[in-house]
Amino acid sequence: MTPWALAWRLFRRELQGGQLRLITAALTLAVLSVTSLGLVSDRLKQGLMAQATTFLAADRVLNSPQAVAPEWLAQAEAEGLVSAQVLSFQSMIFVGEQLQLVSVKAVTAEYPLKGQIEPLTTLDSALPSLGTVWFDGRLSHLLTDFNEVELGEADLAVSGAFARLPDGGFNVFASAPTVLMRMEDVAQTGVVQPGSRLTWRYQFTGDPGAIQRFERWLLPQLTSSQRWLDVKQQDSPLSRAIERAEQFMLLATLLGIALACGAVGVAARRYCQRHLDVVAMFKTLGASHRQIRRVFMLHLALTTGLGIAAGLILGSAGAGLIGQLLPSELPLAAGDPWRAMALGIATGLIAAIGFTLYPLLRLLKVPPLRVLRRDLDPMAWGLWLNGLLSLLALSLLAWLYSGSWTMTWVLIAGAGALALLLGAVGFALLSWGRQLGIRTGSALQLALAGLRRRAGENVLQLVGFTVALMLLLTVLALRQDLLEDWQRQLPVGTPDHFLVNISPEQREPMTQFLAERSVAATELYPMIRGRLSAINGDEVRRAVTKEAEGEPGADGPRGIGRELNLTYRTTLPPNNPITAGQWFASEATDEVSVESQVALRLGIGLGDRLSFTIDGQAFSVRVTSLREVNWQTMQPNFFMIFPPAVLERFYPTYIASFYHPQDQPELVAQLIRQFPTVSVLDVGAMIHQLRDVVDQVSLALGWVLAVVLLASSLLLLAQTEAGMASRRQELAIMRTIGASGRLLRQAVSWEFALLGALSGLLAVIVAELLLFLIKTQLFDLVVQPHWIWWPTIPLLGAGLIGLLGRWACRRLLANRCAALLLR
Amino acid sequence: MISPPNDLAIHVSDLSRHVPALEGHLSILNGVDLDVKRGESLAITGPSGAGKSTLLALLAGLDRADQGAIWLAGEPLHQLDEEQRASLRGRRVGFVFQSFMLVDSLTALENVMLPLELAGGKAARSQAEALLHRVGLSQRLTHFPNQLSGGEQQRVAIARAFVSQPEILFADEPTGNLDHHNSALVEDLLFELNREHGTTLVLVTHDLTLAQRCQRQVRMVAGQLEAS
Repeated sequence: MTPWALAWRLFRRELQGGQLRLITAALTLAVLSVTSLGLVSDRLKQGLMAQATTFLAADRVLNSPQAVAPEWLAQAEAEGLVSAQVLSFQSMIFVGEQLQLVSVKAVTAEYPLKGQIEPLTTLDSALPSLGTVWFDGRLSHLLTDFNEVELGEADLAVSGAFARLPDGGFNVFASAPTVLMRMEDVAQTGVVQPGSRLTWRYQFTGDPGAIQRFERWLLPQLTSSQRWLDVKQQDSPLSRAIERAEQFMLLATLLGIALACGAVGVAARRYCQRHLDVVAMFKTLGASHRQIRRVFMLHLALTTGLGIAAGLILGSAGAGLIGQLLPSELPLAAGDPWRAMALGIATGLIAAIGFTLYPLLRLLKVPPLRVLRRDLDPMAWGLWLNGLLSLLALSLLAWLYSGSWTMTWVLIAGAGALALLLGAVGFALLSWGRQLGIRTGSALQLALAGLRRRAGENVLQLVGFTVALMLLLTVLALRQDLLEDWQRQLPVGTPDHFLVNISPEQREPMTQFLAERSVAATELYPMIRGRLSAINGDEVRRAVTKEAEGEPGADGPRGIGRELNLTYRTTLPPNNPITAGQWFASEATDEVSVESQVALRLGIGLGDRLSFTIDGQAFSVRVTSLREVNWQTMQPNFFMIFPPAVLERFYPTYIASFYHPQDQPELVAQLIRQFPTVSVLDVGAMIHQLRDVVDQVSLALGWVLAVVLLASSLLLLAQTEAGMASRRQELAIMRTIGASGRLLRQAVSWEFALLGALSGLLAVIVAELLLFLIKTQLFDLVVQPHWIWWPTIPLLGAGLIGLLGRWACRRLLANRCAALLLR
Repeated sequence: MISPPNDLAIHVSDLSRHVPALEGHLSILNGVDLDVKRGESLAITGPSGAGKSTLLALLAGLDRADQGAIWLAGEPLHQLDEEQRASLRGRRVGFVFQSFMLVDSLTALENVMLPLELAGGKAARSQAEALLHRVGLSQRLTHFPNQLSGGEQQRVAIARAFVSQPEILFADEPTGNLDHHNSALVEDLLFELNREHGTTLVLVTHDLTLAQRCQRQVRMVAGQLEAS
């Protein structure tokens, strides 16, 4: 029989009923959290990306004002990427005798690489055939009687209409109606001449690795006027949702890991405490340091191995389950399972080493003399050293998992604040405890005396309980806030149809039409197309090109050179908070309110004079306010809003959006019949797609919450077990001298309940602080105190932890008589 | 330093042990000299706090003296480091404690096998079974300590102490936790095995009856030994 066999035998026995099981469970949970959430979030991210890339019509897009060198496309092809080209320009088309400004999109045969063109009429091919065009639904009023358009020198047949192009963007009012044609037909139009304002979009799709390689090759060669876009840079409601969901999952997983690590630490400490006598006895019987180290290292290795293996298996199963639960129209992309697995294994190892190293070192240091003097401790319980080791391990895990210093910093700051707070409370408890001895008049008195007497031990208990409650609160609150934030953006009844091109004469009848049918619609916004020509007297294009084109993600300068949709009104529109200046008075005559982001891009400030040209008439106005606009709301939004006196002299058309009630299926048909010149745009599909994404993310958040809940429970359980261990001897003595089981159970319940109440209060304080940090540093969410927590969480903590204590005490007293306890 | 005569199992000279206290240090043992012959049984008695257990701990190499020399089974304990002392204990010393000190997660048989396994010995099981049979616990081999009575646990501890056939057995209040009947049983067993194995027995006790069963008794008072 070798010492290995002895170690294995001890391991099997310990696993049957002891702290090793708790450590294994906690490690399993940590690995499970990382693996499952890694797999889910990886797959979800890719699923969301796949969804989102349909809004780009590709994985990546290169925007360029001129055609790029053919070698670039050759390089993409060499990397195995598929590419499509889109040439966009503005032009006038003749439809019969009418002239219309349109945005022309000329595409190569591969377009779109992702997503689909949503048809308005039956389309018999994937793209317009050569010599034909498809038109945007907004032009339907012009094209009902014509089947040909004149574009430059070419006559092109109209062969279909589409509702939406996948890369059409979300702002349906931002540009002129689109005409889709084949790239091959561009030459015959003669419209594209040297000096024409063109936008080339090179769309790419392919294997993520190949995209990354191409990206690395391409980015250093881009000029300041070229932009490389992925879905996150696209101005879509998805990008923020994806980013926040990613961050939340990262953060929640980290908190889950922290909880599981806490449980590992508590259980490891208890395990080592229980084995002090065993190690002392081993040493007395002649075991060498090496032999003892081997026994306990083997235990640690086996526990870690078992925890990691179970975590990997359960994590994969959990991720598979999530995949099954997802809506069928949102298939998950296959993530990279190896990365998640590797992270899971690393997490298990770091958690095991970081959180068990100190207790284990302490265990190995126990002197053999302990067999005669049981009060001998191997070394003073260096809380700071243990804390430092744990914090180091946690920081390493946080950085490894998130790759974000900000997130790591937030976590460490939270842990530091917690340590300080608990240290202070512990110190107060200790000072209080020195004055008192045992009083046994009632269960409550007994509990109070116990609480004070074991102040040092109770500080550790407090840490465990508080951490479990605090992290649970944080994740719960954050999930709720994120869901509410998303719901606010797409509430039930979000407008899903837009009405464009309503003439002033149709305004009253349209309002009446909608009111008669009780349709919830936004107000009708007057819209006049105009051009921003100068800022403080400087021609806009010259003024903005140099300054802003180098800015990554700055879409404005190029877009702003075109015509803008301008509106006028006396009141501030909803969801448009003023960020600087003041909203103008209704009688103002030369003012304008500017959207804050466009103001930032163009360098516009309060007091600047902006010049506009509408229908050949120039005028200038002073900027008196900047507004924040939530572009993700499905309602008309504008960069520039004027007082009525400025724009009333121009002929407007009106736009509005409304929610199509399901019980009125004929509504749109009736509307088109009654207002044939008004364009109706259905964006329901887009909203549906957005909702699906939110649902998908919500589901993942639910899983995260479940994992965090489990981790919290495990930590609470580990802490309760550890807490009972320190009370065991005392309970036995009280039982021996005749205390009734009822009195002892009540006293223990009270003691745990008081600890629970205090933990609840501390958890609320630290959670509020942590949420403040997370919301301001990571999520850009509004910080609101959770007043309801302050009375309820301490009460809940008292109830929950009191019950856990009572259960543990009942188990202890029921299973073993006092004599056994005393041994 | 001259090694002691071969017939001595233990040779102690000028042994002192101090512990830090508020006023400098407190002397627990003060210049103790002691010789124990091979095969002899010695009882150390004395009032609580006299230093009996401290002396036992030093003799067994569980603790280090501040001054003096200890020769244990012919080896200079005072010159050995902790690893060497552990090794010496494993080869030549057995222990019986008041609180039994059995490993909860091991059965009676496995507890008895423990010293042999730690020493890497063969046939641990058969030797352990034989000793458990000898102490009357052949029906209790697979029982865990919490399934045994106090007397049974101490008999397991005695079996564990003798299984490695130690030259010297240290016992600290071996009957201190037992009732009269079990005390007698354990005492008999201890002395029988002592005789059978020719082991040197050093025991610390308050129990004068037990002490009188030893060939020699010494009394410890205020950190010094008196012959009784």
